[in-house]
Amino acid sequence: MSVSRAPDVSVIVIVYNDATRLPRAVDSVLRQTLDNLEILIVDDASTDDSFAVAERFAAEHPGKVRAIRLEHNSGGCSRPRNEGIDRALGTFVMFLDSDDTLDRHACKNMLVAAEETGADLISGLCVRLHEGRNGKITPWYPELYAERAVLESASERPELLYDTLSTNKCYRRTFLNDHELRFPEGLHYEDLLFSARAYLGANRITLIPNTVYQWRVVKDAKVRSISNRRGELRNFTDRLAIHRRIDEELQTEELRSLKLLKDVKFLQHDLVLYLWGLPFQTEEFRREFIPLAQEYLATLDPRAFREAKHIPALAAYLVLRDDWPNLLTAIDLVLNRSKVAAPLHRQDGRVYWCAEHLDDELGRAILDVTDLVTWAKPLDQVWLGNDLVHYSSTGGSVRLAGLIVNPLDRIEPTARLSARLEFRSRRKKLAMTAVHVPVDSIRHTPEGLAWETTVDLTRTLHPVGVLDPVWDVWMDLTVDGVVSTSRLFATSLPEDARSIPIRPRLGKAVGDHVLPFITDKGHLSFTVTHEGTIARKGRELVLRTADSAFGHKLVSTARKQITRTGARKREAFRLARTALAKLPVRKGLVVFESHLGLQYSDNPRYIHEELRRSGARFEAVWVYAESRAGFPKDATLVKRGSWAHYKALAQAEFWIDNQGVLGDAVKNPGTTYIQTWHGSALKRMGFDMPSVKQSDAAAQARLQKGVDRFDYFVVRSEHDVETLMAAYRLRAEPLRTGYPRNDALADADAPTADVEALRAELGLVGDPRRIVLYAPTFRPREEDEEFEMPFDLERWVRELGEEFVLLVRTHYLDAVDLPPSLAKDVRDASATHDVTPLLRLADVLITDYSSLMFDYALLDRPMVFYTYDYEAYTRQSRGAYFELADRAPGPLAADQDALFAAVRESGAEHGHYADLRRAFVKSYGEYDRGTAARQIVERFFPTGGAQ
Amino acid sequence: MTRTPRDIFIVCNNIEELGGLQRWAHHTAGMLEASGHAVHLIGVVHPESVHDYGRDLPYRTSVLHRVHPPSAWGPRTVRDRLDVVARRREALRKASVRQAADRLTALFRAARPGAIVIVPQVWAMEWVAAADTSGLRVIGMSHESFEASANSSRARRVRRWFADVDRLLLLTVEDADAWSRDGLNNVDVLPNPLPITPETTSERTAPLVVALGRLSFEKGYDLLLEAWVDVARRRPDWRLRLYGSGPEEARLRARASTLGLTDGVEFAGRTADVEGALREASVFAAPSRAEGFPISLMEAMAMGVPSVAFDCAPGVREIVAHERNGLLVPRGNTREFTVALERLITDRALRDRLGEQGLEDVTRFAPEAVLERWEQIFGYVYR
Repeated sequence: MSVSRAPDVSVIVIVYNDATRLPRAVDSVLRQTLDNLEILIVDDASTDDSFAVAERFAAEHPGKVRAIRLEHNSGGCSRPRNEGIDRALGTFVMFLDSDDTLDRHACKNMLVAAEETGADLISGLCVRLHEGRNGKITPWYPELYAERAVLESASERPELLYDTLSTNKCYRRTFLNDHELRFPEGLHYEDLLFSARAYLGANRITLIPNTVYQWRVVKDAKVRSISNRRGELRNFTDRLAIHRRIDEELQTEELRSLKLLKDVKFLQHDLVLYLWGLPFQTEEFRREFIPLAQEYLATLDPRAFREAKHIPALAAYLVLRDDWPNLLTAIDLVLNRSKVAAPLHRQDGRVYWCAEHLDDELGRAILDVTDLVTWAKPLDQVWLGNDLVHYSSTGGSVRLAGLIVNPLDRIEPTARLSARLEFRSRRKKLAMTAVHVPVDSIRHTPEGLAWETTVDLTRTLHPVGVLDPVWDVWMDLTVDGVVSTSRLFATSLPEDARSIPIRPRLGKAVGDHVLPFITDKGHLSFTVTHEGTIARKGRELVLRTADSAFGHKLVSTARKQITRTGARKREAFRLARTALAKLPVRKGLVVFESHLGLQYSDNPRYIHEELRRSGARFEAVWVYAESRAGFPKDATLVKRGSWAHYKALAQAEFWIDNQGVLGDAVKNPGTTYIQTWHGSALKRMGFDMPSVKQSDAAAQARLQKGVDRFDYFVVRSEHDVETLMAAYRLRAEPLRTGYPRNDALADADAPTADVEALRAELGLVGDPRRIVLYAPTFRPREEDEEFEMPFDLERWVRELGEEFVLLVRTHYLDAVDLPPSLAKDVRDASATHDVTPLLRLADVLITDYSSLMFDYALLDRPMVFYTYDYEAYTRQSRGAYFELADRAPGPLAADQDALFAAVRESGAEHGHYADLRRAFVKSYGEYDRGTAARQIVERFFPTGGAQ
Repeated sequence: MTRTPRDIFIVCNNIEELGGLQRWAHHTAGMLEASGHAVHLIGVVHPESVHDYGRDLPYRTSVLHRVHPPSAWGPRTVRDRLDVVARRREALRKASVRQAADRLTALFRAARPGAIVIVPQVWAMEWVAAADTSGLRVIGMSHESFEASANSSRARRVRRWFADVDRLLLLTVEDADAWSRDGLNNVDVLPNPLPITPETTSERTAPLVVALGRLSFEKGYDLLLEAWVDVARRRPDWRLRLYGSGPEEARLRARASTLGLTDGVEFAGRTADVEGALREASVFAAPSRAEGFPISLMEAMAMGVPSVAFDCAPGVREIVAHERNGLLVPRGNTREFTVALERLITDRALRDRLGEQGLEDVTRFAPEAVLERWEQIFGYVYR
């Protein structure tokens, strides 16, 4: 260990007129856990004290810090960084900008990774620290840095190209010199080219999950001036120049795949950065921008358009075609992902963004939005484009007119139309202060729905003040009773749009006008302003207070209050539980819950209905988790987890539930818990599940405590007793009544009104085709994965569409997005709360391991088991109580071909499966005789009894 | 590599209990001392029951507190604030911690340049943090998986006490990466060393499956018994022997008899002769629900015995490579555990292949290899 050895790392800190922040950057290097490093501060000929600060550091740390000054300002980062590389002595080189900082361990982590892997290039996580926003941190491409990795070449992980920063990296100095790797001078976006070259040239790249670089983000200046926007065009040409130079590097055959990826990235990332703002630029800007972009887009690999995400590709394609009207709506789609912003065009059974460019093959592919845009959903789930075509104001009143998109003319000229405007505070908690104003006129035109109205804002809009500075404008359009909500889209307001006087509830000191503006996403909003003397003074006072010692104290107290509320809540809850435990139980109060409050369905629902019929005296409470929609009107509804819910549970005489009542609810001695459960078991359950077996003692005890609350447990057969009751180690008394929800399945004479209602709801009245229900079970997935149909729906429609209509019902934890183009032959039946009428409606059931098989067997209709993952599912993941293949009352299909064949043959099945079905019902549903609900009600709610 | 002789302090919660961590600490202290460093093994307190790690240890040992200090306390409610007794007790505790930390400071000040403080447990770090470590380098360690920390209050304490040490060592890369993602930037990796150097290994011919460890819930012996039921039915000639004692013993014995496993399952009690126990075995079973870096798996491997283990922690995956030197089973899936056991029981050739490969693979954890890694880390912290 000699004293004069070369530094391990040279950190090159560049600075230009940033004397105040420079010390923070340099200190972050001086405080590194790596000692053996040098710091080169390169000053780009600043006109402030930056260089003096640098020299002071050099004087204080001789041999460690060097101060270098460029003779002339270079106007960018490249020259100073290159100078630093030339003067560096370290084995490795890192870069730091004067406004950012390094993590304390950054240099050591880089060095250790470099030495252990021998890489030329090491890259770590960069985080963006948002200053003044309570230290909010956002990581930069964290998925690239989730775990350490050693790559022999960048093509092993082409996504690296997305991380174009040069500062979160550490470079072997000999590597930079051997490859003559320097930053391009005279261009913006120098990092893009430098990083791309470094990725391509490096003889091994190591990625580490550690945070190395802290990019300190100062909040953007609010509105950029026109001159800045002019600058944007310069930026764009620079960016294109950099991309062209990267393209040159990527010309060789083996780098083709990288070139394609880079082109995709250009469409998805680089171009979109400029498109966002394009609608809000001047026409002059646009005229210059489009040809520039067009020219570069023409050099891209055409495959990039097909591989890029659909929306950016759509916009880029319209840039390529220089089609401004359609591009504007496409950008609206970029800004507002789920909006139907264009009228669309139907041709040959497909839906296109516009009618133009369809003679071009690429155009047909890119403009085909059949499965991208939600054009087929019911109107209340569609966000329609709504262009603001007129804005003017006189005094307190505002005149507005607009045009609502009518996609594919789906809104008929005869439809009954009405609309109202809503002014709503952006602060969600103040949503109740929203005001509504009816729209004066709205009518059907060939271009869309034209509307206009005049609003007296001074009279209608009363913000609280301070709390609600921004008010958004929404429109509720009602078409034949169905409401569709939209926002008013505009790219600019007339030059003379001025502020409108209003009266805040807190008085004039907190604001006296509202000023219209267009949000970043192109929507009309209003902001509260201060124009009169009182308002201006009031505002000053608020600001001054916030900045005084008293103000700081106020803020910190408020913050503490917020952080402590967690503990407070727990304490309050502890006290409340004690109180709940003392509440008397109310006779006849029944709390119903189905599937954790997600549905009004299943056994609890049928018991409730039977109770109504029986004339027993009772009071029903239903628990809902998300929405009250679909729950009965004659019951009190309580939100799951609310105070009202806990209180109802503590006072209830009965809990009737099919899964699990809140774990920390108070169950008083007078309460009886009837657990109806929600299906017989094929898959292992409870303590027989591997996931429970492997869990720790505390988790197992919690589960046991939860199920020990059950007093009665409804079973359909002795199979339930042997499997479910044993698996949960239940002490409850089994109710051998069968399932109330299956009464209608077991009883051939059950009324069919609800089945017919469902048939109508699904649009199947008079449809002669046989109805097939596909109801798969839930499969555990990664967090970001979505449920996907395990067979090809288009093929289904082609081969079976004439004979069958397919209903898809996913598990209640899943959701499926069905292609709108297949709506005639494939329907989503997942939203129906109650599955029983659905089973009765279906002529054939396709399932896999779902417990619905036990119920459907009661109907004695054909069943097909689509068990494409039989081995994996029954063995690896859960295990089963019996071998489905041996007992299934229908054919098992291992792949699509077998599935389609089995469905085709289901009409002409032979007696073999009917026999198996009867045996199946005997084994697993012996108590389902159609009287379950009545038996339960008679036992627990004797009418006319002692009350 | 030329080694700088260093003064090395290893500061543990205690150094006298019979436990995995203490065995590790004495083994590591001996290893480092033998390679030329001057090691001082320090316990913060005396444990309740003291195990004899031998007299005349080659390295220095000390214990900071003669009497166990009361647990830390802070007022949470208004009533707490008025609790004079508790406040007084806390003041005394702080004073005694202060005293103990001062003793550490004195030891640290006397050290030669280049000294290292190793803190393998987060509780002990509170004392090291209270001492003056300037001029030294502090290396923290966490001997459990990230998940195990995250599921307990220790994760919070690791974040608090180990965020500023020069290096924090985890047992596996997977755990280190998890801590990195969690925001700790000083993490690095060091595996546990293999504590035995066997002369002869198992022949893998006896019809015997062995499991070894504390009979506690987290070790999952109840799951092993469950998995054994079908093995016993189909291969009554094979026996299962469980070494160890612990709180679950009575319950496990009862469970074995409910499952009808009285004949083929033996509770053999605690053993001091790990090598002897493993030498007789043909298969090793590791049914734990949670683990750090299980030494017994390494020991079985070093004895040439292939393992069947639940894939419950990165440490297990680090030691056992599935189908290469052992068999891994998805956590908690007892049916698959049965299948894996039966595969090894019926397939002699498989047993031999995995066992022999294990002998080779386990050399990664040989003391020399781990020592080399220590030297590398000592080098890093002084760069």
